[in-house]
Amino acid sequence: MQRLNYFRLTCIFLAQFVTVLLVLAIGSLLIVPEFKDVWQNLWSEEMQYSLKLSMVTGLISTGIVMVFALPIGYALSRFEFFGKGFTKTIIDLPVAFPELVLGLCLLLLFGNAFVKTLLESIGLNFVFTKQGVVAAQVFTSLPYASRIMKSTFDYINPRLEFVSRSLGYSMLETFIRVSLPLAKNGILASTVISFARCIGTFGTVLILAGGSYMKTEVLPVTLYLNISYGNMGMALTSGIVLMAVSFIAIYIFEKAEVSL
Amino acid sequence: MKQLILTTLILLLMGSNTYGADLLIFSGAGLIKPMEELRINFEQQHQVTVDAHYGSSGEIFSMVAAGQPCDVLIPGAEKYTQDALKNGWVMKETIRKLTLHVPVIAVPKGNPAGVTGLESLTRPGIKVAIGDPNAPAIGRVAKKMLTRANMWEGVAPNIQVMAPTVNQLLIYVALKQVDAAIIWADLTAWAKDKGKVETVAIENRFNMIKTIPTAVCVNGKNPDTARAFNAYIASPQGMTIWQKWGFEPCSD
Repeated sequence: MQRLNYFRLTCIFLAQFVTVLLVLAIGSLLIVPEFKDVWQNLWSEEMQYSLKLSMVTGLISTGIVMVFALPIGYALSRFEFFGKGFTKTIIDLPVAFPELVLGLCLLLLFGNAFVKTLLESIGLNFVFTKQGVVAAQVFTSLPYASRIMKSTFDYINPRLEFVSRSLGYSMLETFIRVSLPLAKNGILASTVISFARCIGTFGTVLILAGGSYMKTEVLPVTLYLNISYGNMGMALTSGIVLMAVSFIAIYIFEKAEVSL
Repeated sequence: MKQLILTTLILLLMGSNTYGADLLIFSGAGLIKPMEELRINFEQQHQVTVDAHYGSSGEIFSMVAAGQPCDVLIPGAEKYTQDALKNGWVMKETIRKLTLHVPVIAVPKGNPAGVTGLESLTRPGIKVAIGDPNAPAIGRVAKKMLTRANMWEGVAPNIQVMAPTVNQLLIYVALKQVDAAIIWADLTAWAKDKGKVETVAIENRFNMIKTIPTAVCVNGKNPDTARAFNAYIASPQGMTIWQKWGFEPCSD
């Protein structure tokens, strides 16, 4: 019993120790700046630009991510196919990849003369553009979304789908009328996490889209640029906005009660 | 079990005591290659540990401004050290000019856009990258140089990207994403050896050659070691290392 108690105490102590550290760290982001400054910074031209660009690109990226994450999650959860293990590993890879490396890979691909001309012929250019911001965000957050969708579908009993098939629905009808409604919590969680991830993407955006002032400047870039300028007020303000987005996302995620 | 936890705790505490280098230097990111060699040599000669933080000049300057402990400050341009002196963060008598910092135009291998000098950058359709005028020192210098030469208006529409970090500029040139970038000559030394980029000199009448300074900060913990390091990187011995990495020593 004695041994178990020490073990229990240590685990709880470490959990609470880290929590206290995090609360202090997050708290200092809120305590250091003055509210009036933050409010003023929020309405500055640069911040408005970056906020708007972050929201617009974040929403578009999240849309694209979900269009891919739903079928990817379903395929990985339900079907057996050639190269499944390989597909799963590669799709998950960006979770463990540093964003800077991912950005460099995307720049090498999309900046390649051949690929670039090909994409330009259909009106796409990802290098140093706002489209590039979206591409960077999509590739960074897709693995998170598809993981959540896979585990969501894993928890749905396939029997319900079999019953639906035996009652006459096609595979597609079953997916739309049975699987999707059952997965709605997972879809919600996956959407908010993707959005938060998109908004917070820094390294990938910096390398692929350049991170230019008032051009491809999203919130994390604003934070970084203003650290370089020595303008701590603006840096802290973008930090607070990013933190607020993450808090809301995690709150909804916890409410949706899905596992990663 | 009890003993195990105790030992772990003691080890952790001891670890935290011995950790923390004797000397902390803040250096411009562009100086990383020679600075790492100087740092390691100094560590071996003096049996001390030196930690280096590399960042854009603006970034390391604001870190000092925010009161972060720092022993020696080596930004990418004189202006930052002068500002630090005005604010009383560095010791005046320790300021030494190290090397020249010469801006050049870096172009991809083969110079596809046929850049011949600063004026080429105003040609419509040419793709140009510069550093953000407020972040790395080279960005500020590039804008000032172009403004002084009355070319900023002409170049501005050609700017594809204003990079927050100087390292991005070289990647974009090497990967042929831009036709030209204004960058420090020393930064291109390595890429030039590999045959990825070429450089085009900026005309003397336009160019703004800067010097890289070093100085000891007032709030350092080890002023004696800091002075020794400061003197070492400016010594003839140190200069051979700067030269090895493509930096030109200051003549005075």
